[in-house]
Amino acid sequence: MSSNSRRNFLRDLAGSVRDVAAAAQSVTPEEPPEELGPEIEPLADTRVERYSRQLVLPEWSEAAQQRLGAASVLVVGAGALGSPVAMYLAGAGVGRLGIVDADDVELSNLHRQLLHFTPDLGLPKAHSAAAKLGFLNPEVAVEPYQVRLDAGNAAGLLEGADLVVDCSDSFETRYAVNAACCAARIPLVEAGVLGTSGLVMGIRPGETACYRCAFPAPPPDAPSCATAGVLGPAAGVVGSLQALEALKLLTGVGEPLLDAFLQVDLALLTFLRVNVERRADCPDCGTAYA
Amino acid sequence: MTRTLDITDVTCPMTWVKTKLELERMGAGEELAVRCREGEALENVPRRAREAGHDVRVEGTTIRIVRA
Repeated sequence: MSSNSRRNFLRDLAGSVRDVAAAAQSVTPEEPPEELGPEIEPLADTRVERYSRQLVLPEWSEAAQQRLGAASVLVVGAGALGSPVAMYLAGAGVGRLGIVDADDVELSNLHRQLLHFTPDLGLPKAHSAAAKLGFLNPEVAVEPYQVRLDAGNAAGLLEGADLVVDCSDSFETRYAVNAACCAARIPLVEAGVLGTSGLVMGIRPGETACYRCAFPAPPPDAPSCATAGVLGPAAGVVGSLQALEALKLLTGVGEPLLDAFLQVDLALLTFLRVNVERRADCPDCGTAYA
Repeated sequence: MTRTLDITDVTCPMTWVKTKLELERMGAGEELAVRCREGEALENVPRRAREAGHDVRVEGTTIRIVRA
C-alpha cells in the first residue's frame, strides 16, 4: 500500500467511524421500566460491560457514569498530553469530545503522542486523533477542530463545553484558554510538561484560583519541547493525571486538585502539591467575580 | 417489596457490577433477592455487599440484600 493510499484508507476509516458514532448517538434509548425511577435511565448491558471496571469501584456509580455520558469536553491540543487525556476520557465514556489542534502529525511527535502512528504522518492531528478515538469508543461523539486556539476564537470553541482540558504547548495558548474559561465559567484542567517534569492544576473559575492567579506572567525565556526535549512517559504521567482530574471534576468522584497545583518531577519521582490562592487583581478571574 | 435480579448468566466481576447498579437504583431499606449460580458469585457478591454496608442473608443460591 503506498503512503497516499494508506492515508486515504485512514481517512475513509475515520469517516466511517464517525458515521457509526453519529448513528450510535441518534439511537433512541429504550424507555426505562417505571419502577427504576425517572431520574436515572439504566445503562444498556453493553455499556455496563464496557465501563464495568470503573462501575465496580465503590466510589463510582451509575449516576457518575451518566454524568460522564452527558458531558461535553473540549481538549485543546492532540499531542503528548492530549493523547492520554483524550484516550482516557473517551475510554471512560465522556459523551462528546472536541479535539482542537491545527498541526499535522510529524515524525518527531511519535515518541510521545500516543494517538498518532507512522502512517498518519502529514495528516491533521485533530483528524488522526478523532479516528483513533472513534475506534476506541464509538459511543463518544468526537469533533475534530483543525484550528489553533487563540484569544479571538477561544470563546466560540469553548461554547457548550462542560469542561476544558488544556493540553497545549505554549503559554500564549494557556493564557487564552484560562481567560476564556474564566469568562464563561467553564471548569478547566491545566497542565504542562517539559523534560522529565510537569505541572497539573484544576480550576473552577470564580470559585478557585485560576492559572493566571498561580502564574501571573509567563517565565522569561521559557524553553519549548523542541529545544528542551521531553520524555514520552513523562508526558504520559502528566497527561494521565490531567485526565484523572478531569474525571473527578466531571463526576464529583474523588477530591479534585483545586486552589493548588501539583508539581511533578519524574527524574526524582517527587510530587509536590503547592497551594495557591485567588488574586483579587487577577486580570482573568479577579475583577469579574469580586 | 422485594426486587429480584438474575445474575446466573454472568461471571465475575459482572456479578457484583450488576448487583451494585441494581442496589444504587433502590431506596434504603428495600430488599433485593439475587439469584446466582454456585461458586464465585456466592462467595464474592455477599462479601462485596457487606463491605458496602448492606445487610446480607444467603439462602441456597439466593442472596437477599437489604440496601443500607
